[in-house]
Amino acid sequence: MKQKLRKYYIGVVSIILLFLTACNDLNQVPTGEFTDDTYWYSTAKASYVLNMAYSQMMGDGYFFANEALSDNLFVTRTSDEKLISSGIANAATGRFANEWSDCYGGIRTCNTFLENVDRVPDMDVTLKARMKAESRFIRASLFFRLTNWYGAVPLFSKNLTATESKVIGRTSHAEVLNFVRTELDSAILALPATYTKADIGRITSGAATALKARTFLYENDWANVVAETQKIIDSKTYSLFPDYAGLFSIANENNPEVILDMEYVPTLRTWSEYFDYSPPSAGRRVNQQSPTQELVDNYMTLNGDSIQQAGSGYDEAKPYVNRDPRLAVTVLFDGGLWRMPDGTDLTIKIKPGSGTVDEYKSGSGNNSLSGYYMKKYYDPTFTGSYSSGLNLILIRYADILLMYAEAKNELGVMNQTIWDQTIKPIRLRAGFTDVNATDFKASWTQSDLRKIIRNERRSELALEGTRIFDIRRWKTAETVLNTYPHGAKFSESAIDNGYIRLDKRSFNPNRDYLFAVPQAQKDLDPNLGQNPGY
Amino acid sequence: MNIFKINKPKQGHRRFVFLSFLFLLFVGSANLEAQNRKITLSVEKVSLRQLFNAIEKQTDYKFSYRDLILDDLKDVSVNVESKGISQVLDQVLPAKNLQYKMQGTNINIIRKATTATLGNLITVKGNVVDATGQALIGVGVLQKGSSNNGSVTDMDGNFSLTIPSGATIKLTYIGYLSEEVVANDGKLLKIKLTEDSQKLDEVVVIGYGTVQRKSVVGAVDQISAKKIEDRPVSNLTQALQGVSANLTIQQTSMNPNDNKLNINIRGVSTMNNNDPLIVIDGLVTSLGSLSQLNPSDVENISVLKDAGSAAIYGSRSSNGVILVTTKKGKLNTKPVVRMNSLVGIQSPNVLYKPVSGYENAILKNIAANNTGNPLPYSPAQIQDLQKNGANSKWFLDDILQNALQQNYNLSISGGSQNSTYMVSAGYVNQRSNFVSGNNPSYGMERYNFRTNLVNTLGLFKLTTIMSYNRNESNSPNADTGNLMADGGRIPNYYYYKQKAANGHYLINDVLSQFTPLGSLEAAGSNKYDTDYLNGSMNAEMKITKGLTAKAMVGLDLNANHRATRSLQIPYYASEDATTPSIYQNIGGKTSDWNQKEYTINTQFLLDYDRTFNGSHHVSGLLGVSNESYSRYSNEIWMNYVDANLGIPTSETALAGNIGGKTTPMNTTLSDIASMFGRLSYSYKDKYYGEVSFRYDGSSKFASNNRWGFFPSLSAGWRISGESFMDSYRTNVGDLKFRGSYGILGNQNINDYNFLTTYQNYDNQYSFNGTTVSGTGFTLGNPIITWEQSANLNVGFDATFFSNKLYASFDYFNKVTSGILLYPVNPSVLGTAAGMENSGEMQNRGWELTIGYRAKTGDFNHNISFNLADSKNKVLAFTGNELIHSGDSKSDIIRVGAPFASYFGYKTDGYFKSYEDVQNSALPVGEDASQLAPGDVKYVDVNHDGVIDTKDRQILGNAFPRFTFGATYELEWKGFDLNMLIQGVGERTMFLRGELIEPFHANYSYTMYQHQMDFWTPTNTNARWPRLALSGSTSDANNYGFSSETQLLNAAYIRLKNIAIGYTIPKRFTSRFGVQKLHVSVNAQNLLTLSPLTFYDPESTEFTNNMGGPKGAGANSGRSYPTLKYIGFGLDLEF
Repeated sequence: MKQKLRKYYIGVVSIILLFLTACNDLNQVPTGEFTDDTYWYSTAKASYVLNMAYSQMMGDGYFFANEALSDNLFVTRTSDEKLISSGIANAATGRFANEWSDCYGGIRTCNTFLENVDRVPDMDVTLKARMKAESRFIRASLFFRLTNWYGAVPLFSKNLTATESKVIGRTSHAEVLNFVRTELDSAILALPATYTKADIGRITSGAATALKARTFLYENDWANVVAETQKIIDSKTYSLFPDYAGLFSIANENNPEVILDMEYVPTLRTWSEYFDYSPPSAGRRVNQQSPTQELVDNYMTLNGDSIQQAGSGYDEAKPYVNRDPRLAVTVLFDGGLWRMPDGTDLTIKIKPGSGTVDEYKSGSGNNSLSGYYMKKYYDPTFTGSYSSGLNLILIRYADILLMYAEAKNELGVMNQTIWDQTIKPIRLRAGFTDVNATDFKASWTQSDLRKIIRNERRSELALEGTRIFDIRRWKTAETVLNTYPHGAKFSESAIDNGYIRLDKRSFNPNRDYLFAVPQAQKDLDPNLGQNPGY
Repeated sequence: MNIFKINKPKQGHRRFVFLSFLFLLFVGSANLEAQNRKITLSVEKVSLRQLFNAIEKQTDYKFSYRDLILDDLKDVSVNVESKGISQVLDQVLPAKNLQYKMQGTNINIIRKATTATLGNLITVKGNVVDATGQALIGVGVLQKGSSNNGSVTDMDGNFSLTIPSGATIKLTYIGYLSEEVVANDGKLLKIKLTEDSQKLDEVVVIGYGTVQRKSVVGAVDQISAKKIEDRPVSNLTQALQGVSANLTIQQTSMNPNDNKLNINIRGVSTMNNNDPLIVIDGLVTSLGSLSQLNPSDVENISVLKDAGSAAIYGSRSSNGVILVTTKKGKLNTKPVVRMNSLVGIQSPNVLYKPVSGYENAILKNIAANNTGNPLPYSPAQIQDLQKNGANSKWFLDDILQNALQQNYNLSISGGSQNSTYMVSAGYVNQRSNFVSGNNPSYGMERYNFRTNLVNTLGLFKLTTIMSYNRNESNSPNADTGNLMADGGRIPNYYYYKQKAANGHYLINDVLSQFTPLGSLEAAGSNKYDTDYLNGSMNAEMKITKGLTAKAMVGLDLNANHRATRSLQIPYYASEDATTPSIYQNIGGKTSDWNQKEYTINTQFLLDYDRTFNGSHHVSGLLGVSNESYSRYSNEIWMNYVDANLGIPTSETALAGNIGGKTTPMNTTLSDIASMFGRLSYSYKDKYYGEVSFRYDGSSKFASNNRWGFFPSLSAGWRISGESFMDSYRTNVGDLKFRGSYGILGNQNINDYNFLTTYQNYDNQYSFNGTTVSGTGFTLGNPIITWEQSANLNVGFDATFFSNKLYASFDYFNKVTSGILLYPVNPSVLGTAAGMENSGEMQNRGWELTIGYRAKTGDFNHNISFNLADSKNKVLAFTGNELIHSGDSKSDIIRVGAPFASYFGYKTDGYFKSYEDVQNSALPVGEDASQLAPGDVKYVDVNHDGVIDTKDRQILGNAFPRFTFGATYELEWKGFDLNMLIQGVGERTMFLRGELIEPFHANYSYTMYQHQMDFWTPTNTNARWPRLALSGSTSDANNYGFSSETQLLNAAYIRLKNIAIGYTIPKRFTSRFGVQKLHVSVNAQNLLTLSPLTFYDPESTEFTNNMGGPKGAGANSGRSYPTLKYIGFGLDLEF
């Protein structure tokens, strides 16, 4: 009997041994990811975190959607931007939550980089200083974005803990701006003016100065705008690219006009918004947003007069001839050309009765409801479904010149010299030849010039994401965003002289100069409070 | 020899109960057939007891002699070589004035019967068979009213009994309904007993063992093969719908290529995965594996609902456990060959229909007119549409077709003295209802092979299970939702066509990117195949009496492969265009994805089961187990490939654009080590007590938080077994109360959540035309550990009218705490924090199951019904509230409210007048001048004069409540009818998009017939608000917010399955060697009654956790259509 039992025990033991050996261990770590213990060991890996921050600095979606918040574009389909411009956004609107969390997401990446990069052994000291400065620039630019949209926002320079994140209050707009400028100052010192080869596209000291100039511009702090833009002009690092249309083509990326951009590479890192912006015959998906008649009307005639001016040469029957050459670069209108990837140019017939797929149809279909299509930044070298590798420029030299001119005028010191330094080269580059369009007139009052400079800014920078900030700082948003936008003169109705009347916009000056603090954020952190009117 | 009489007890009903009790004892293991095993034995002068012990040692036989006192005289000598047991017993028993009854391996020793001495006696002879004509052995035959005149049937089902002429005899057999027959002289009685669906002696499979139904003290539902096998479903999970209370199965898509099913036991109790644990033949596996099984291989399925029964699976059982046992052969039976086939047609049933073309144009004009827009259609255009209306075709009708579904099964089972076998093969072929054009036909095929062997070798029993399943599917290279949406929202205008006469695919001004027909016919396809292997070896060894050691090693292996060909398709702008205007899938793409997933499970158990003094039943279990899960996958894709072969080509500059993921990037390894045990005790089948525990360690947690202990306690009281209940037992039936309490665990979260990890992303940014990598990070939380749910269950089981009616009721209360959640932190944190054990949820409910069997004339009825409810409430949640919005739909997680409830604005009808608009609170920013009577009026809950986020309310919940299922089986002279009705008593569904909003967001171009009940000055009591063009304030007001306008009542009752069959009488078939030939007509989803008439009320946008804390996406009502099935079935048995 005992003998028998012993036999059983052997069996039992061998089975238990089998049980113990035939399995994965209880201690498992991922094979495809690093852990905090294994990550910060090389310069390359640290630089990947910085690269992530670059990708979070701004996005192509916001780049184009911001323009849709302004009077330059009409949004065809339901979107947060449509809700905002219709005045029916509330604290729960997605855009308010996303802008907030995307910015703080990028800030987290910057802080994580700054807090850990010193753990990397044997890292080149100069390189480390530069990368820290790049990181601080990105963080500053994100706080700048936040404070532009929301006013006072939580400000911090170290990663928060979960507990801290639930009680942090908002820092005033002025203090946030102060932080941004201080950070930019230190970045300016640590960053090079230019890069070579593989580093081209990184943040330069010029970019930091330009962003700093913008921080003053949005506050109408003209003296400081002059001071900062003057530095950029004097540095002679930047110049206007000779060809306005070429400025937005893949062949001329990183040209001397570009101060800061978002960099893309065909097929590998792309954006594809034009899939929903292009005309039907070019093989697009739907129409998401399209230029307004108001934008089109902003472009001068070739002699430099506004179309309303007597003697401008504007003919309502042939509205697109004899116009500022930048119009055709920016907006696709009836009879305009559209370059296809194979190099052919399609003539796009939008006017009703043309019988093409591009023909405007009232209130239906996937065609533009304004009778215009966007064109600037359309990249004919796209692959697949409008995947483009074209860089999107965030700050360019023409903007600096326009800022400089505007500030000088607001300070009351605009003159021929400054004109010849700023507006004139911009107009010449745009293709104007008529001296009436290019030359300074001593008869202009400050107010005349203000109008000229603002219109110039709109025409030059249209569809580049700056318009919404301009009309907000000019406080004209409450006017231009509080009315019916229009499309081309394609309507059979007598309303508005046959210009298509589009959905009414609404802008409440007591509320809409600031985004709402996202409802969910406010619920999670009672110290945040809310902006007026939400 | 079969005649015996019982002298005591005296009263008739007592005698009957006593007899029943005896039979209960007879049936120790229902799996084993009676047999006459050969014995070689040589004993001298031993007592009877010693002889029996000697025989028990050698064989499976068990002796019982509880109503006797055996003498201890050592006067028995036996010397036999390879003799049957009956010979041995016949040799020794008569001398002691004893005889025996054999049932399976149980041998009951009883007193030798003495012949009754009554006058006017006749001898009744009869034969007892079951519904299939098989002889029933050991059926009790008793003269009604007599206490002691009885007999049992022999091996051939025959009996003979001497009774007074004209007396009634009563036949009783465990597992069958008793039968009464008036005996007449001379005639051989042919008696057919009907199986009792609610048999008390049924062997119920529980965790790591089995137990008799009467001893079950937990909430366990066992579903027999019969409920599953004849349903024309393509997978097992579908077949479980409606058959068990609170086992909720929601088919989110009927697409054979994407057969998404939610399976849930007792509601939502965690914010994470609510999938139950699936155990197939003792091996823990995945939900996917359940759907791979061949339904006709299943012997039974146990659903463990409460802690008492599930705690043995500890860590992962808090969502309940589904135990599947596959069929085995039977000892000493001839081979039985069974074939069955089901062939039918599935027709797509799209419940929404567009209005006709010209009507649509008029409606669009009305909408435009209502909102002050120019009219899009001129009278001439409308006339043109009307004139050509007959030439129009709805795009959905172009892409949907009827499809064939075929199921075939073949099985052979049987057994010899020491071994049994069950070998089966199955084949399912379900075609898709999408047309496929040039692509290979869409649909799925599955092959199932199984070998289940049981071998007994002395003290050892070896069970070997091998099953191989192969699934091959071919699916469209397009998203089902897009296909349905694009196909559904094109108006019936004659000039919209998907394909020109010359074969060119056409786009138009409304579908300008691609069309569903083009996508289906020419966009390529996904070929997906799975090889699923499930095998185990289970060795059992008897150590001493009652003690068995078991060791098992099992493998569950899934190898998946997907090959996708994406083809470039040109689309043309018009029928006569010669150059394409747009391409779909530019450049084409080829991709391959491979995954291998396997779980190795090793178990070692000690099992003890013994009855002392005939009344103390003790059983215990102690075991260790390890489950090791590994998953490896890799993928490669190539863009811009040759259009024909999908290989790299030099025709384009981008050729060979390659990417993918390698094995190190896609590896998951996890492990669970466990110790578990159970101790149960019962006294005289009256009192039951059970404790069980499990101690689990999981690799999903850091080493110091890894182990969790999960105990449970259960008790039961069969009150009807008490003597004071004698009259109740006789007149009413059985009654048992039971209760359990336990703590269960859940760790159904992703691996490595306790670690902070860094992920590398290619091409995250670029400098000067060259891309660079980026790194993101995911925060971990090292202190996370098991979710725990405390589970209380109380219930009762009762039978009435001699077991004809069976009822069972359970109430449960489950509180899950430490729910693993990604805490909702403010966005300023900049990233998602690691998971925390922070949520708490309560889930309460009840379930009622009723079974009834009746016989009226030649009709046999069998009705079963179940009704259940569960209701949950969030008890704790970080931040107390989380709202998730997607498009115009919002849901909320709020403390005190049901989890993931629909959230939004309550409506107060429509504006009645312009004054009403002026005087009402309007959504913030809306201009009263842009609204009109007929637009939706919202309830200003806080009376602040404006409708804003503060006015939002909980509107409803999508989890089904009051779920029910009813089956009705009817037999009449070889005919049978089978029906399953299933439904939901209360549920809301939120829909947005084109099925709700006319001309939805400029994406939908047609209105549907169900939208015609819209507000007009003469139809103010309408279902829908007045028509308005997309982009207008009215449209934004009416459909731009999550509100009651989009909320639908999705309660329903559905005739899920109906089958009518006929068994050809054996006398016709047996001459061809056919034992059984059954033909049937089956139909599925024939009839549905629901307040929701334009969309399938069964469908849901939610997954197993109602979308979880991240919320579910918008429900756009674009799922694959509901399918109606009609087909034929054939069963053959040799």
